[in-house]
Amino acid sequence: MTTPRTSPSRDDSTTGDETQEVESPTDDVDTETALGREPAFQVADRQPLSTLLGRPVVVGVLLLALSVLVVPIVTTFVSSFARTATGALPTGFVTLEHWRYVLGFGEYGVRANAIPGLTFSVGIATAGMLLNVLIGVPVAYALSRYEFYARDWVNTLAILPLVPGVILGIAFLRTYPERGGSALGLVVGYCLLKSPYMVLTVQSSFQSMDLRHLEESARSLGASWPRALLTVIFPHAKQGILAGCIITWTLAAAEFNFTYMVHTGDPKPFSLFLFRNISNAPYLQSAAAISIYFLIVVVAILVLQTIGNSGFTTVRE
Amino acid sequence: MSTVTLESITKRYGSETAVDGLDLTIRDGEILGIVGPSGCGKTTTLRTIAGFETPTKGDVRFDDQVVTHVPPEQRNVGLVFQSYALFDTMSVRENVAFGLKMRDVPVDQRRARADELLEMLDIADLADRLPATLSGGQQQRVGLARALAIEPHVLLLDEPMTGLDATLKARLRIEIADLLADLGVTALYVTHDQTEAMAMCDRIAVLNDGRLEQVGTPSAVYERPENAFVADFIGTSNVLEGTVRDGRLDLGVVELSGSFDASGPVQVVVRPESLDLGGPLEATVEQATYLGDRTELIVALPDERTVTLRADGNVEYSRGDSVSISIDPASVCVLP
Repeated sequence: MTTPRTSPSRDDSTTGDETQEVESPTDDVDTETALGREPAFQVADRQPLSTLLGRPVVVGVLLLALSVLVVPIVTTFVSSFARTATGALPTGFVTLEHWRYVLGFGEYGVRANAIPGLTFSVGIATAGMLLNVLIGVPVAYALSRYEFYARDWVNTLAILPLVPGVILGIAFLRTYPERGGSALGLVVGYCLLKSPYMVLTVQSSFQSMDLRHLEESARSLGASWPRALLTVIFPHAKQGILAGCIITWTLAAAEFNFTYMVHTGDPKPFSLFLFRNISNAPYLQSAAAISIYFLIVVVAILVLQTIGNSGFTTVRE
Repeated sequence: MSTVTLESITKRYGSETAVDGLDLTIRDGEILGIVGPSGCGKTTTLRTIAGFETPTKGDVRFDDQVVTHVPPEQRNVGLVFQSYALFDTMSVRENVAFGLKMRDVPVDQRRARADELLEMLDIADLADRLPATLSGGQQQRVGLARALAIEPHVLLLDEPMTGLDATLKARLRIEIADLLADLGVTALYVTHDQTEAMAMCDRIAVLNDGRLEQVGTPSAVYERPENAFVADFIGTSNVLEGTVRDGRLDLGVVELSGSFDASGPVQVVVRPESLDLGGPLEATVEQATYLGDRTELIVALPDERTVTLRADGNVEYSRGDSVSISIDPASVCVLP
């Protein structure tokens, strides 16, 4: 830069000329030194408070949150293997007595095998989840992609099932008195109750991508509309679908209110198993029941993630 | 490649008219630019050719075939968007081969074709990468390769370079123009940036408010604009009112001799390069914009009208300076 020019005239240039280069910040500094002007402000030597405190605070909050969440789970899990829990800490490790008891293999109490019920629950939750994928993903797609009459109403309707399960349970029994309590009734009910989670997560996934242009690119390249959806659009929403699956599955597996309202007969779904082992049961027994729930959920999440990570992708080196 | 003809296309959305009776031909092998301010109907026109909009009236023809009601997937058009819209779940090679896959071309053939295109666009080494890991310029090349892979009747480019930085833009537009010319692709280039259109296109169509203002080669549109809108939109121009009498143009503050064949009151276009410093006309600098190689001056004439002209970059001007200017009568364009 040969002639230092005063900047106001250049700053005034608001013409949209594309070729105009933005001058680099270093040039500005040089100019100021050359002119011997006082800089407008002095950058302080000390670190600002936010830099000093920011990181430790974030780490601290994270640790606190983790411990608040994790400690009860770990304590419960560990306690379920203890013989007694009379003091502050459970003592007398390791026994599988409580696990055997809640699963129905105990030497006293209800000797009903709980495993068929658990398997039944896993099946129902999975079916509800799959139904949700089939219904929730297209609904989320339509809501994010198209402007249509009553779109806001459909959006509201899609979130409405967030009402407590009791309400839906009663509505269900009223509307379908014969089928309401069957396995099919449970699947449909779980699907409906948890559908907002699927719709909302998948919808946010769709909204974060350039949905219309992706679809139009695929179609201009020769993919029919259904094919464009299946081979391009839905795979792009993989993360959202996966998150939706995990949420709907876990919540369906533990849905108590609705199950309690509609379900009759055997096998007993998971939430009723939890209920039986938590209400009026000793601490160690409920600890074992809860631990079983956690184990099943962890396994389910791992399975879903594995399927999700391998399922849709066509390339992976 | 094909000739694309738009026959009095009108597109209405409710009471809103996006395109109004547009007649336009993209000749076989040419790059036709569509420029205009936002909302002028450029993108609607492009989407109508691609098949994503059905015109309210009028027809689209590829060569002799009317395709107005053919769905997009059967039209065989290539699309390149500003946002690239690459498929992030597929590798670069699979992106390029996607169109061939949809046409059931065998795996080895479509792979070979994809590699050939990637080679042509200088990105062969990126074939196995995922699009999300590429830079903007690289992604744009992938988008172009993907659209060209299907050997489209017409390639539609919708503001393809708007997201790129100035240097890359300048390089890419030369490269792409050369490539398209080599391949003899019929292309429609939609942009709001008239410099880009001038640099890349064989002809330019200027759209305003859904209507075609002018279509012609870049030099025709620049040198012989048909109306004030075109003059103003393409390049910088000063549109002045004047009167022609006996072949002489009276601009109020100065009279230009020459052979102006109109008569009576007219509008004339004076490009900044037809104005020179030093001459009979006194003016006052209103604004000076330093642009490195030149300084753009907005000066006020004695009758308070302002005109834009260019001065050397190494002389400093500031507001209020007095300058004298002259107008070259030969390059003044009288609007019809």
